[in-house]
Amino acid sequence: MKKTKLGEFEELVLMTVIVLQEEAFGVEIKRELENRLNESLSVGSVQSALKRMEEKGFLTSEWGEATQKRGGKRKRIYSATPYAEQVLREMKDIRTQLWEAMPIPVSSNS
Amino acid sequence: MKKKDSHINPPQWPWKILKWFLNKDYLEELQGDLEEIYFDELEHYSESKAKRRYLVGALKLLRPSLTKKYFKSQKLNHIAMLQHNISIAFRGFRRHKISFIINLIGLSSGLAASILILLWVNDERSVDAFHEKDSQLYQVMTHFQLTDQLVTWDYTSGRMGESMLEDFPEVEEAVRIGNGTFKPSGVITYDNANYETKGIFASNNFFEVLSYDLILGDSKDVLNGKTGIVLSETNAMRIFGTNEAAIGKTLELDTRFFNKELVVTGVYQSPPTNATLQFDFAVNYQLLIDRDRWANEWNGGYAENYIVLKEGTDVKAFNEKIANYMDDKVNNEKFTVFVQKYSDYYLNGKYESGQLVGGRIASVKLFTLVAILILVIACINFMNLSTAQASKKMKEIGVKKAIGAQKSALIFQFLTESIIISFLALGVSLLMVNLLLPQFNLLTSKSITFNLIDQLRRLTLLSVAVGIIAGSYPAFYLSGFRPIQVLKGKFSNIKGEEFIRKGLVILQFSLSIIFMIGVIVINQQIEFTQKQNLGYDRNHIVTFESKGLDTEKLLAFVAELKEIPGIESAGNMAGAFLWGDDSGSGYWTPENPEGRNHLYKSPKMGYNVIETMGLELIEGRTFDKKFNDNENRIILNEAAVKYLGLENPAGTIINYGASNNREVIGVVADFQYGSMHQAIEPMVIRFREWGRECIVKLVPGAEIETLERIETLYEEFHPKYAFEASYLNDDYLALYDAEQKESVLSNYMAGVAIIISCLGLFGLAAFTAERRTKEIGIRKILGASQQTIISLLSGSFTKTVLISCLIAIPLGYIFAEEWLQNFAYAIELSWWIFALAGISCLLIAWLTMGVQVIKAAKLNPVESLRAE
Repeated sequence: MKKTKLGEFEELVLMTVIVLQEEAFGVEIKRELENRLNESLSVGSVQSALKRMEEKGFLTSEWGEATQKRGGKRKRIYSATPYAEQVLREMKDIRTQLWEAMPIPVSSNS
Repeated sequence: MKKKDSHINPPQWPWKILKWFLNKDYLEELQGDLEEIYFDELEHYSESKAKRRYLVGALKLLRPSLTKKYFKSQKLNHIAMLQHNISIAFRGFRRHKISFIINLIGLSSGLAASILILLWVNDERSVDAFHEKDSQLYQVMTHFQLTDQLVTWDYTSGRMGESMLEDFPEVEEAVRIGNGTFKPSGVITYDNANYETKGIFASNNFFEVLSYDLILGDSKDVLNGKTGIVLSETNAMRIFGTNEAAIGKTLELDTRFFNKELVVTGVYQSPPTNATLQFDFAVNYQLLIDRDRWANEWNGGYAENYIVLKEGTDVKAFNEKIANYMDDKVNNEKFTVFVQKYSDYYLNGKYESGQLVGGRIASVKLFTLVAILILVIACINFMNLSTAQASKKMKEIGVKKAIGAQKSALIFQFLTESIIISFLALGVSLLMVNLLLPQFNLLTSKSITFNLIDQLRRLTLLSVAVGIIAGSYPAFYLSGFRPIQVLKGKFSNIKGEEFIRKGLVILQFSLSIIFMIGVIVINQQIEFTQKQNLGYDRNHIVTFESKGLDTEKLLAFVAELKEIPGIESAGNMAGAFLWGDDSGSGYWTPENPEGRNHLYKSPKMGYNVIETMGLELIEGRTFDKKFNDNENRIILNEAAVKYLGLENPAGTIINYGASNNREVIGVVADFQYGSMHQAIEPMVIRFREWGRECIVKLVPGAEIETLERIETLYEEFHPKYAFEASYLNDDYLALYDAEQKESVLSNYMAGVAIIISCLGLFGLAAFTAERRTKEIGIRKILGASQQTIISLLSGSFTKTVLISCLIAIPLGYIFAEEWLQNFAYAIELSWWIFALAGISCLLIAWLTMGVQVIKAAKLNPVESLRAE
């Protein structure tokens, strides 16, 4: 766990990448997250999370097709590495355990 | 279409800057993302909002993980440096308040002045460029060969356009409208109310080809019929209340060409203020042809023809092809046809002997230069004050260098400082521009609006440029200090520094003196045009136009005018007296047969005009009812008598055309016809009884009552028209409108330049006085008087200003001569103009320094020497 620091926002972006599958490129990820979080994000924040995670080995990416709408510029499609999925699962487990360990009033409150 | 696309596309310029910072590998992806979002948002938001969000998005890309890699290892360092520099800069501003404020005021007024000028220049350049087909839209023009000159006309035959469309494959479309003389202006009557209005005759594809957008109606057929009329929005609102109510209504239009009932077929957006063609309605050109068949003949130049050339047409080759187009149409070789880009004509519209010699572009260039020079002066201030403070910064630089600061880091620091100042100044100047814009619009009779978002890019570039230019010299100079010497307290290179600083002050003052010479010369010349004896008396003379009367009624009106008490004299002529361009040819004598092809100035006057205007009669008589004068009788001016070589002009018969005669009945002394831009030329005064321009000389003292009486009489005769009279004196002043504007603008600009220069001088004087406090103290203790100290301190500045005079006066002389070339009659450039400019500059400089110098000289030496 120690060296695989995954920030909260990064985790959200990472999961969105997995959800979107081959549709996972910058604008689409931003759009999906905006819908789910119900707040607006900047391209810069999403992209910098993607780049950071790619560096840490959570993501790989390759060039996709170019469209007219993008002024002929290519997309970059991201996909999660097996390692990322493993880390996500670990984190989920830790959370589940923690939730279960919490006293009851807290959970009924939410 | 092309124009629209580029309008909607997101701006590309942020990428040119971001490219330097962002990681190259990410660039394409990021740009694509932002553009995709931009196009998505265009569907929901306005274009400007989408653009704004796009720019904000682009700015937000500047994050550590997206910027260049090599930046990464030093990134913290750089940002810290920047923060450090910024805080040092602000600390410096706080510590040296006076020089900061001087810098700020100087730079911001310089920027404000240049922004205003650049807005004006932009507006001038935008005139007539709003047409969608602007890049292909050309106006057909022609040079016409007279015996002794080649004149250029922007009007051509009504058949030109259509015929060219058939004959040349390059021509895609052709539009014609009636030229300046053939514009229907008159009165619209609807529902018993009258509305005066000015319109055009236009071919039926007018609205299709040119971008005067229709609000209602189909551009293909609004002008198809001869019974249709298209109204401007302003006109439709005025007459009908709404645009919709206008459509299909029948109204009566009474002009000098026709009186007709017309049906409103469409409404167009009133022409924008940057259109030269301003019109309240348009009717079919055919109506003009019906009235006057010459409107559609090769020999009549009734039309302005606009053509759309195919994209990529070689205009030069096309012009060669059409040069002799008129030859076989009119059976002579006097015409040279050519086309000029329509939107270029406004700025480049002055031809001499068939050569383009400029036009309004001259003032545009002049003021652009002035704007740049003012900025230079403001930058010099900054340079001077920062280098003057060098001694105060020496220790800081020395310590920094000793610790190991690179020269580049120091340069970076000083540039940061100057760019910060320049941005602060930009902020202040934007406030000033907003405050001054209404006044400025009034001055220049424009309606310029200032949209910050549109100009943001240019302004950012401008202030970065100003920051770098102003900061570069101090940055390189200060960062070059050698740490050991600086820390030892030795201030090397002081001579060189003084030298450069003085050079800069000399440059500043030279420019200010040149501006001042310009202002004096322009004002003198304008005063000269007002005071010069024109050969007639323009005081107490009122002119107005009689509209819509036939000759008989007109003469009755003029006759009754003369009876009004309070009117000394009244006459009527065709075309305004100040027009200055009414001309005709065909007059010759055996002594000068060439005169036949000379274009004489020839106003068309009725009875009593010469008397009313107070023109001096030298020989013979004026037009008089007693002699039953007709068009065969003419009056010459002295220049014409000389030109035609007449010995005893009065009573002579001279030849007219091939086989006609004209009888000279009198000679008047030469007088200035039109403005002083023209020389006095040979003139033939023609006789016309029916001229509509009424000229009335009032008895001084009771002008208001008399004008009211004239108005009552006018309304009796012209029930549909409003009485609009103007004093000849005012109209004469209006002839120099361009110069008046130039004069007022240059007054202000010279003022700004001088104020900025003085601010700099003030700062320098304050600084010198401060630095020499101890020296002055010692001198005073040793017995120097206050006068000695004052002359010591002001002496070097005086020398500087005197050197500036030496440089500026010859240059100013050259510029002034050049400008006066525009006038046929100009003032002499006498020595006092230059002396005045130089001496006033010197006085202003002394006043500026005075307070500082006297303060320094009065200082008690005990105070100044006690400090250490």
